[in-house]
Amino acid sequence: MIEIKRLSYRYPEVDQPILRDVDLWIDEGDLILMVGPSGSGKSTLLRCLNGLIPHFYGGKISGSVRVAGLDPFEQQPRKMASAVGFVFQDPEAQFVVDTVEDELVFGMENYDLPQATMRKRLEETLDQLNIAHLRHRRISTLSGGEKQRVAIGSVLTLQPQVLVLDEPTSQLDPQAAEEVLTVLQKLNADLGLTVILSEHRLERVVQYADRMVHVQGEGAPLVVGEPQEVLRQIELTPPLIQLGKALRWEPLPFTIKAARRHARKLALPAEPRVVEEPAQPDADEPLAPVDIAVDDLWHSYDGHPALNGVDLRIHRGEFVALMGRNGSGKTTLLKHMVGLLQPSRGSVRIREVDTRHSTLDELIRTVGYVPQNPNALLFEDTIADEIAFTRQNHGLPAIDPEDLLAPLGLSGMGDRYPRDLSVGERQRVALVAILAAEPEIILMDEPTRGLDYVQKENMTRYLAAERDSGRTVVLSTHDVELAAAAVDRVIILGEGEVIVDGPARQVMSESMVFSSQINKLLRSDRYLTVADVLRDLGLGAEA
Amino acid sequence: MVHTIAWLAWTASAAVAALLIRNPFYLGIVALSAGLVYATVGENAPLKAGWGGLLKLGLFIWTVTIPMNALMAHTGNIVLFTLPQSWPIIGGNITLEAVVFGAASGLSLWTLLLIFAAFNLAVDASQLLRVTPSFLYQAGVVTSIALTFVPQMLISAREIREAQRLRGHRFRGLRDLLPLFVPLLTTSLERAIQLAESIESRGFGGQLVQLDDRGMSRLRWYMVAGLAILLWGTFSRVYWSQRPQLGTLLIVLAIALLVDTFREMGRHVRRGRYSRGRWEAFDALTLAVSGAVLLGCVSLRLIDKGALNYYPYPPFPLLPPFDGWIGGLLALLSLPGWIRLQPAERTPMHSSAIEAP
Repeated sequence: MIEIKRLSYRYPEVDQPILRDVDLWIDEGDLILMVGPSGSGKSTLLRCLNGLIPHFYGGKISGSVRVAGLDPFEQQPRKMASAVGFVFQDPEAQFVVDTVEDELVFGMENYDLPQATMRKRLEETLDQLNIAHLRHRRISTLSGGEKQRVAIGSVLTLQPQVLVLDEPTSQLDPQAAEEVLTVLQKLNADLGLTVILSEHRLERVVQYADRMVHVQGEGAPLVVGEPQEVLRQIELTPPLIQLGKALRWEPLPFTIKAARRHARKLALPAEPRVVEEPAQPDADEPLAPVDIAVDDLWHSYDGHPALNGVDLRIHRGEFVALMGRNGSGKTTLLKHMVGLLQPSRGSVRIREVDTRHSTLDELIRTVGYVPQNPNALLFEDTIADEIAFTRQNHGLPAIDPEDLLAPLGLSGMGDRYPRDLSVGERQRVALVAILAAEPEIILMDEPTRGLDYVQKENMTRYLAAERDSGRTVVLSTHDVELAAAAVDRVIILGEGEVIVDGPARQVMSESMVFSSQINKLLRSDRYLTVADVLRDLGLGAEA
Repeated sequence: MVHTIAWLAWTASAAVAALLIRNPFYLGIVALSAGLVYATVGENAPLKAGWGGLLKLGLFIWTVTIPMNALMAHTGNIVLFTLPQSWPIIGGNITLEAVVFGAASGLSLWTLLLIFAAFNLAVDASQLLRVTPSFLYQAGVVTSIALTFVPQMLISAREIREAQRLRGHRFRGLRDLLPLFVPLLTTSLERAIQLAESIESRGFGGQLVQLDDRGMSRLRWYMVAGLAILLWGTFSRVYWSQRPQLGTLLIVLAIALLVDTFREMGRHVRRGRYSRGRWEAFDALTLAVSGAVLLGCVSLRLIDKGALNYYPYPPFPLLPPFDGWIGGLLALLSLPGWIRLQPAERTPMHSSAIEAP
């Protein structure tokens, strides 16, 4: 179905080729999972399949590519559309018209298909993707997962033989990602569609993949093979597979069900509980001073309630994760903690200062808030300038940017242009831009969205170090593994109320949804992470 | 669902009526009909119809038209009060007739707004795109994209403003625009590139059946010639207004040439048009009614100038005349509103049964 021979490519005005002598063969009907660190060339390779490279980007290309008998270098991407459907990362930026039905027929109109064919394919596509109930909706009113399913539908109506998706779930929360991945698996299984998917969340798709392609980057050859073989060779793996690798399980378990067979044979200590009593959130606790006090907080947007009577105390030096599904009020609560929003009722006090009686400029001296989208922050020509901008605004003296960059693994990058960085690096630069003001309380909205496993781990380690140095860290996240690895306390919100609030270990081991892979496997509050298990087995942290 | 063509006919006919009629009774009937259509269309429209904005706009129009007319036109028998004659322009009698006439003019404007508001709710950009002539198609898509782009940009702008505020950014002068403007520009550009990739990957731009260079330049010359003749014709009609025949002839010739050129260009755009609604009896009825109203208004205007007009100043009566036949004809404009009051049997809702969890 796809045959790539000795493909090399260099972007215009770049010295190093991003792809060098790539060979790849993909059979019809396979589901291919493409992995690799950010910036390794996954997106580039995918764009060669429908001719966006070189037709759209220019640059220097050699070698050959054949997709369904067509040569994408000769054909324009618009001619390739009937063979290759391409879905992009950002669900916001791929729609032309404003209703679902119109979006789905856009491609067919471009191909001048007969009216009857359009109708038939439209109905079929709506059913295949389970989006018939959305057909008359405006795209702007859809959730992220629904948008991505519409984007998939909009290319499927041209009935391509290959569906290519470039990190389609990296901007989505776990439920939405699940919706999208389930659809892909179904399309592959039921229709025999060849699916090529680049994806960070291996845990949800690896069991369906026929083969994996690891793009190592920097011109290194691809690693291609059965998921079993490839996963053994790469670092970027979900916790379950990490555990399997550390304990040399054969075959590597891709699902929790598969891992249970191995787990039963583990000689783990019998006593299940390490946390006995739920911590009492009483005022007389001998804890560190209260940094954030939220009392009976209510908030609504244009009459739609977002927070309904939230009560919270967050102490100095705590590392807290706010969890809950989309729209549960996490971001709203965080925005109250920095004074971006004012309570409709109740109060928020930051170190005894009521947010209603102080200005944003006063509050941001104590609180640093890192928004979800790093692109909203970065505008200077260099990272060092970004740091200088924040410090100047706060009336702080200039510092050596390296002091802030080194701990985040951005050493020596002070002169780089922020927009040229990978998603993970941008996220860290955004953090640096806020931390430059030396806040004592750090708030972060979804800091690990779009990051790969290695980047996530770096971010987690960094935040834990900040907590250890006495800062208070509060973040909203969907990422259970992050919460399991580093957080002290988990607060689960639902419909604008606090549903559960307690030590991370306890909350996560009692939850069905908000628990880590390892915890789902072993169902004991002793075990949230791979390190927990290895410690009890006396294997240390060698994995 | 009424067909787009039927909606266009309805809008054209209602708008022409609102423009030709000054008689407040008839205007009232047109406004009520348009209001009914607006309300019923709004029930099913994805954008909820709100009355608040429209009413506010109406009030605003009257606060302009009523005082304007009352202060400028000083004729009439029923004097409300008098401003000193020494005041320029506005000095003199302020009459009830002038107030009423101002109100009637305002009503005409507001009715027009109501008609377009209803149309806007009923027909979205992509439906309109499908009835645009082929040669305008690419421009149409660009407009459609711009329309979806603007709200996204507004959201980005708010996000950026918030994010920079959190870094202590304050707006003091033009230089402080940079931290807001640069991220907005780069974000929009990045989004634009992805959108371009996305539509290119779905076959957009493949519809132009390539003309050879000679063919293309021939069409361009035709277009230039057509526009030049049009200009010449218009000029000669204005300049030799006693003998307009030559000008008229040239204009007709130019229009014929331009239409033929556009048609020829359209033939080189190969693109399907998905039609959502089928043309049904009700659409034909709407089209017929719209045609009847349009024809009625135009012929009345031509036959009897006073029939639709309103002039409250003496010697004419303050109370306008009312003819039941004309009123009845105009009331037909409410037709698309009545049908929609019945349960919407044409929207397939059965499919929601397989809704995702």
